[in-house]
Amino acid sequence: MKTKKLIAPRYLFLSAILIILAGGLVLIPKFEKHEGISPELLLSNAISPERYISTDELADRYISRDPTILLIDVRDESSFNENTLPNSVNIPLNKLLDENFDAYLNQTAYDVILFSNDSFKANQAWILCNRLGYKNLHVLKGGINEWFSTIINPKEPTENMPKTAFELYSFRKAASMYFGVMYEDQLKIAVPKKTKTTPKLVIPIKKKKKIPTEGGC
Amino acid sequence: MGPLIPNGVIPYEWNNILAILIGIAFGFVLESSGFSSSRKLAGVFYGYDFAVLKVFFTAAVVASIGLYYMDYLGYISVGELYVQPTYLWGAIIGGAVMGVGFVAAGFCPGTAITSVAIGKIDAMVYIVGIMIGVFIFSEFYTLFQPLYEGSYLGNITVVDYFGVNPYIFIFCLTIVALLAFFFTDMIRKKVKKVFY
Amino acid sequence: MKELEKTKNISIAAVITILLVIIALLAYKKPKHLYAINTKQALKQIVENPPIQLNNYNPKTAILIDIRNQYEYEKGHIENAINIHSSDILDDANSIFFKKLKEDNKSIVLYGNEPSEAISASMILHQLGYSNVKILAVNNSLNQDKLITTPVEIEKKGENINQFIKASIKKVNELSDVQIKPKPIKVIPKKVIPIKKKKKMPTEGGC
Repeated sequence: MKTKKLIAPRYLFLSAILIILAGGLVLIPKFEKHEGISPELLLSNAISPERYISTDELADRYISRDPTILLIDVRDESSFNENTLPNSVNIPLNKLLDENFDAYLNQTAYDVILFSNDSFKANQAWILCNRLGYKNLHVLKGGINEWFSTIINPKEPTENMPKTAFELYSFRKAASMYFGVMYEDQLKIAVPKKTKTTPKLVIPIKKKKKIPTEGGC
Repeated sequence: MGPLIPNGVIPYEWNNILAILIGIAFGFVLESSGFSSSRKLAGVFYGYDFAVLKVFFTAAVVASIGLYYMDYLGYISVGELYVQPTYLWGAIIGGAVMGVGFVAAGFCPGTAITSVAIGKIDAMVYIVGIMIGVFIFSEFYTLFQPLYEGSYLGNITVVDYFGVNPYIFIFCLTIVALLAFFFTDMIRKKVKKVFY
Repeated sequence: MKELEKTKNISIAAVITILLVIIALLAYKKPKHLYAINTKQALKQIVENPPIQLNNYNPKTAILIDIRNQYEYEKGHIENAINIHSSDILDDANSIFFKKLKEDNKSIVLYGNEPSEAISASMILHQLGYSNVKILAVNNSLNQDKLITTPVEIEKKGENINQFIKASIKKVNELSDVQIKPKPIKVIPKKVIPIKKKKKMPTEGGC
């Protein structure tokens, strides 16, 4: 053949390899690409309680005016307008994956805390975001209802409770005052101005080690 | 899994070290395949040596085929790769200017540096020329700015822009590359041989 | 021509390339579990499928699964429930079991100590394509080694915080003659994250 003279056999061989490989790309069966992390990894992330942040820890970060927290209310708009945690952003669950909200969820600058009335919707939102590989997301344990019953309206401990319960109570009471709740006993002390030092409960904030997410896709 | 550094498989700090290692390897291959000779490079334009065209076209084809295979098998995700932004007219005019420099001097910036490394004087002059060009460009930046920043198309690839199936595009690219090799080889045989 | 001597190297390189491709193909394992739906579809489905209440649960068409651990399960569980701990739901045997349930058109009803506990298992199964997974809206607690199951309302609206705060201020003000004004909460300025228009990648773009 004419081409045999024109092209050395080894060049034919090399071009055959390229054509076969490129043709293989066209012919290989296509399947729907995995979106996000693998189900196995998602499961192990989802069953670990690491994502929860307690109401006490959140209150502590509020009061110390931690600039790195970003609260996201995943309930619908009407309940958001009715009552929410101070300084939070509303992203209704059904609009969670809108492009507009991507900047809030998919970032590394803030610790995003998702919350709803209890932790149900927030958990659902968290799992979806985790599948997409978003980082720094947390869920407020118990949601607003828990926030109300622990921080805004803490239950006074009874006499026979341990000392830590009283310390916790005084922390929570002080926190609730910070958020605007007033107590009757505040009247008596209100005259010398709040000099009463409430023993600040030190909440051990777990320093999370940043592990680069291996695997993934 | 990949891209390795953005996904944290390799720590970010390794970025520059890896770049240097890859750069050294690239320079070595350029030099060992004779690309530090300006005659070999200019040969593409005179038609007596198409090694440059073959090497870079093959590199592009092999890399794209390999990337898409790795993407298919899940070792890397093509969507996460960094794509250089496209400034259409800037690229066209800049490419033409560089082509003129290429044929006039017989170096592209990368090969010029490998030639400096082996002590070629013309390459050193070429590097000085690059510096002068950079100087002129930055001094008259305001003049060039509309061209430099105009016709911005974003970080797109040909596949994105025309919306074609990337697999078919790569297949066509491979065919085009092989045809180009074949025809350039025909031209090379017709042109009088130059010994260098 | 010197160039021809180098073709040996080219052939070697080509063979190595082919070997690499073959090794990669052999080393490739098809992932065991693949998502059947993307996150947008999943979001739509979970919004449309709220947990079912205990009295809506029909034992004829549904299988109850206790996703708590074995210890808790043995202490007490709802009648006819099967124990699959939530960390085991992707096991081979369980996958076969779920598949069979799906083919039989039976719905899978998960429950834990509280509805939130069952979310992770139910959502992962959901995204793997088991659209017949539901959560039972119950709280379970042990009382003297007996399981107490109480239906709960999910995302129940609690007391209104703002009203509570106002009420507390009013109460205090009524008791005292001096009007105390509520101290305004010092609020950190609201964070507004500028929306960056992200490049829209066609579906081809990986993850």
